[in-house]
Amino acid sequence: MQVSEKNQVERIAELEQRLAEAEETLEAIRQGDVDAVVINGPTGEQVYALEGPDHPYRILVEEMHQGTVTLDPDGLVLYCNRQFAAMVQTPVESVIGSQIHQYLTQDDAAAFSALIAAAAGGHSQGELNLLAGNDQLVPVLLSLNKLEVSGIQNLCAVITDLTEARRNEAIVKEEQLSRLILEQTAEPVIVIDARGKILRAGEAARRLAGSNVLFQDFGVAFPIFDQDGPVTVSRLVSDVRSQNALRSVEVNMSTREGRAYALLLSASPLWSPGRELLGCVLTLTDITGRKRAEEALARQAEQLAQSNSDLRQFAYSASHDLQEPLRHLAIYTELLQQRYAGKLDPEADQFIERTIDAAHRMERLLRDLLAYTHAADAPQGDAASVDANSVLAKVLATFEQHIAKENAVITSGPLPVLCVHEVHLSQLFQNLISNSFKYHGNAPLKLHIWADGADDGTWRLSVEDNGIGIDGRYHQQVFGLFKRLHGSSRYTGNGIGLAICQKIVQRYGGKIWVESTSGEGSIFRFTLPGKESAHAKA
Amino acid sequence: MTEGAQPDRLSLLLVEDSPADVYLVREAMRREGLRVHWDIADDGEWAIRMIDEVDSNASTPCPDVMLLDLNVPRCTGDEVLERIRRSPRLAHTPVVIMTSSESLDDRDRLMKLGATEYFRKPSNLREFMKLGRLVREVHERSVPLK
Repeated sequence: MQVSEKNQVERIAELEQRLAEAEETLEAIRQGDVDAVVINGPTGEQVYALEGPDHPYRILVEEMHQGTVTLDPDGLVLYCNRQFAAMVQTPVESVIGSQIHQYLTQDDAAAFSALIAAAAGGHSQGELNLLAGNDQLVPVLLSLNKLEVSGIQNLCAVITDLTEARRNEAIVKEEQLSRLILEQTAEPVIVIDARGKILRAGEAARRLAGSNVLFQDFGVAFPIFDQDGPVTVSRLVSDVRSQNALRSVEVNMSTREGRAYALLLSASPLWSPGRELLGCVLTLTDITGRKRAEEALARQAEQLAQSNSDLRQFAYSASHDLQEPLRHLAIYTELLQQRYAGKLDPEADQFIERTIDAAHRMERLLRDLLAYTHAADAPQGDAASVDANSVLAKVLATFEQHIAKENAVITSGPLPVLCVHEVHLSQLFQNLISNSFKYHGNAPLKLHIWADGADDGTWRLSVEDNGIGIDGRYHQQVFGLFKRLHGSSRYTGNGIGLAICQKIVQRYGGKIWVESTSGEGSIFRFTLPGKESAHAKA
Repeated sequence: MTEGAQPDRLSLLLVEDSPADVYLVREAMRREGLRVHWDIADDGEWAIRMIDEVDSNASTPCPDVMLLDLNVPRCTGDEVLERIRRSPRLAHTPVVIMTSSESLDDRDRLMKLGATEYFRKPSNLREFMKLGRLVREVHERSVPLK
């Protein structure tokens, strides 16, 4: 009996133990902590899966395209689905138990904290970048919800990958930008396919064609032609294929409304990755206005040239043909003087004398005018290199007697090789040196000639004297035709020398000017094109 | 205009359309003391006809010296000079070109065409009268060739 009681007590304890285990199991099943039950049956162990009412939701969470994460209030990842693990390129088992902050950039940490704080009110949402395991940034939309489990406040995050959406947005933006550029560009731009159908056309192109040309045949919408005839699509495509691009080919176009355009056609091919011609981008730049302006300019230039030629012819004829009667006037008055001087009254003799003087003076003026007319005429052939040192030496030789007579001292620095006609340079030196002799004042003439080079290949030549100088008021005037600052009784001459100098210098695109103060000598400076930058060997 | 040939005189053919210059040429010869038989043509065609006459008629006397103004009507002085130099009887007769042109090109061209002297008409009397001396000299130089 004692043994039996003892057995019963043990039996009761064993049953209580098994009951507790069974209750624990049931509680675990009730809590959803058991997925399957293993039963030892007559045929061995058998596994029975347990499906609670939330099972479909678990499947949903695992299979959904968004990533989901459960976080404790400190950011510890309690759970994540496969999508999230894939987003951050990290295995699920490594994500669970890690800190969510390791998948955030420093820049986004503050934003994330703000989202958590906002989620305390129930829900928050924001865009940020996840830092994936390969250091790539993944743009995501993060939705946070408060989650209370067994009295513990957790957070549930649903993360949507925005990479694709962003890419699509970029494509859309790119497309919009392209359209905008096409619309805004001032040049008519047209995109055609390989058969000539217009795929795109900007506002300027539509304006040029006078209608909406989209999907029309290019040759119909833009009937352009060049000197070889109509520029057909096949010809255009063929040219683009063979030359890879057309650049600024002049073409013309007449619209059905009768408007005529001069255009510059440029075409670039659109190749597929496999080098198949998909189409062309064409630009038709309207140069109608420019062409008209050019034509008008050419006409004006022609008229100007004709006018200049007429003027030169007039000046030549006037001066040349006037010489004849003037010569007769002078000679016959001299004859009159020879035969009748002293036979008429004294006043008549004076009149005859003055008539002869006037005739000779007019003859000199006409001769000077003729010289001025021809001053800048080009001798035969192009301007050649001429060594200014040797030209100066030749000119100075003609002043030998003057130099000796006046005790003049003439010096020069090294002069360059110039690209001018020798006769013109010679004339410049001749006139300027002659001027210095004429206006040298009381002291013996001191003359110095030198040259400075400029960066643009031109040379500035200077002729400096110690003569009477020129008041600043007359610095421009002295280069005028027949302009004189002194009466002929004091200094002879017609005032043609400097005018001729100016005409010669201007012929070569140069300038001539004087730097001078009355009574302190003058420096006449002029610029001429150089043949080379180095000084010529004297 | 022609005057009858006189053997003791210098026979001059003057091609000049300006009466003022004709007078001056005559005056220059007079002052040089030359007695002249004048044949005067006042245009180029007339001058060429006179040369044709010399060539076609052996009895027509040849001028001793010819004075040719470059700028005469109807044909150019160049054409007249070329015709003279083609003439069998006048090919070597002195020809003095008279012109108011200052062109060196004109001068070079005419000297190449066979001009003997080139006289630029001056605008003062003393210089113009030097034409007389020039004509005497070219005539004297040419005589041994005859």
